[in-house]
Amino acid sequence: MKKLAFTLCLVCGATLLTGCATKVKEVPLDRTTATTKLEAQDIRRTVEKMVESLLVAPGVKEYVKDRRPVLDVEPMQNRTAQHVDMLSLTESIRSQLLRSGMFRFVDRSSTGTAANDIERINQENQLGLVDAAKAVKAGKQTALDMYLTGSLSEIKIVEGRKTDQYYKFSMILKDLKTGELVWTDEQEIRKESKKPVINW
Amino acid sequence: MKLSRNIIPAAIVMIGLTVAGCKNTSGTIVKTDHETGESTIAAENARLAHHVVVTSTTYDEVNGVKRVNITMASKSNKRLRVDYRISWFDANGMELDPQTKTYRNLILEGHDAVTVTGVANSPAAVSSKLRVRETEQAE
Repeated sequence: MKKLAFTLCLVCGATLLTGCATKVKEVPLDRTTATTKLEAQDIRRTVEKMVESLLVAPGVKEYVKDRRPVLDVEPMQNRTAQHVDMLSLTESIRSQLLRSGMFRFVDRSSTGTAANDIERINQENQLGLVDAAKAVKAGKQTALDMYLTGSLSEIKIVEGRKTDQYYKFSMILKDLKTGELVWTDEQEIRKESKKPVINW
Repeated sequence: MKLSRNIIPAAIVMIGLTVAGCKNTSGTIVKTDHETGESTIAAENARLAHHVVVTSTTYDEVNGVKRVNITMASKSNKRLRVDYRISWFDANGMELDPQTKTYRNLILEGHDAVTVTGVANSPAAVSSKLRVRETEQAE
């Protein structure tokens, strides 16, 4: 009897100790939807779809036929009530487009430091800290041909225990010389959740 | 007698839990060589292959990047949910930007056929691989 009680205590103790440990594991980047909020996999899929759509767009063909146009990606606008890191999304789009080799990029919108950098170099040049022959001179930067921008909007409908959430990503590619829209596309995501009758 | 009456349902529950716990993430793979046009289909998941079949594969090149269109058809009367991912490989068989290619959702209505499209985001891509898996099995 004592032996049985001892074994039971041992098993219970081991179970409790195991239950207390925080379990951490690496999981695949693309998981099934867990909430109606915008999740990492939604962002990743949207970026991939947008980049693919832009690369094969008929309007882009004439611009990339003989040269690699210079692009800047303006941070996308977040028109939803959720906090979404739009700068990160913009950076993902830019890196995927850059890898395609179809475009060249300048980075004015995300950092905005180009003018500051040149001003600082000029100051250092005046102080004699920099080799004047090697110093970067103003007016040598590549001019922008087009810019890419977009927005994220949402519609949320709550009906009893049911929540219907709709997201729409819209993007445009604009030619700065003519002001024409070269490409535009939308990606939509719709999610639905239902709260249980008993919830705590 | 009473004991065996309790053991049988318990055993069924245990087997059910064990089967549910075993995640079968294999699926159907379609490999397409864009240089030779050769396309191979490998069905690794019998249950998925019973419900979803790959009916056609076409490919082309747009704006200097390769594109593949794969048509999948449902053999079921019910709505099916599957995940698919199209990855790209260079001439040496190395996968290009594996992190950027995601699993996408696809809803197939009863006996419907849907064409999915994949675009290589690098001019170095020469072959593509489509992988389809059951959504419920995805982690």
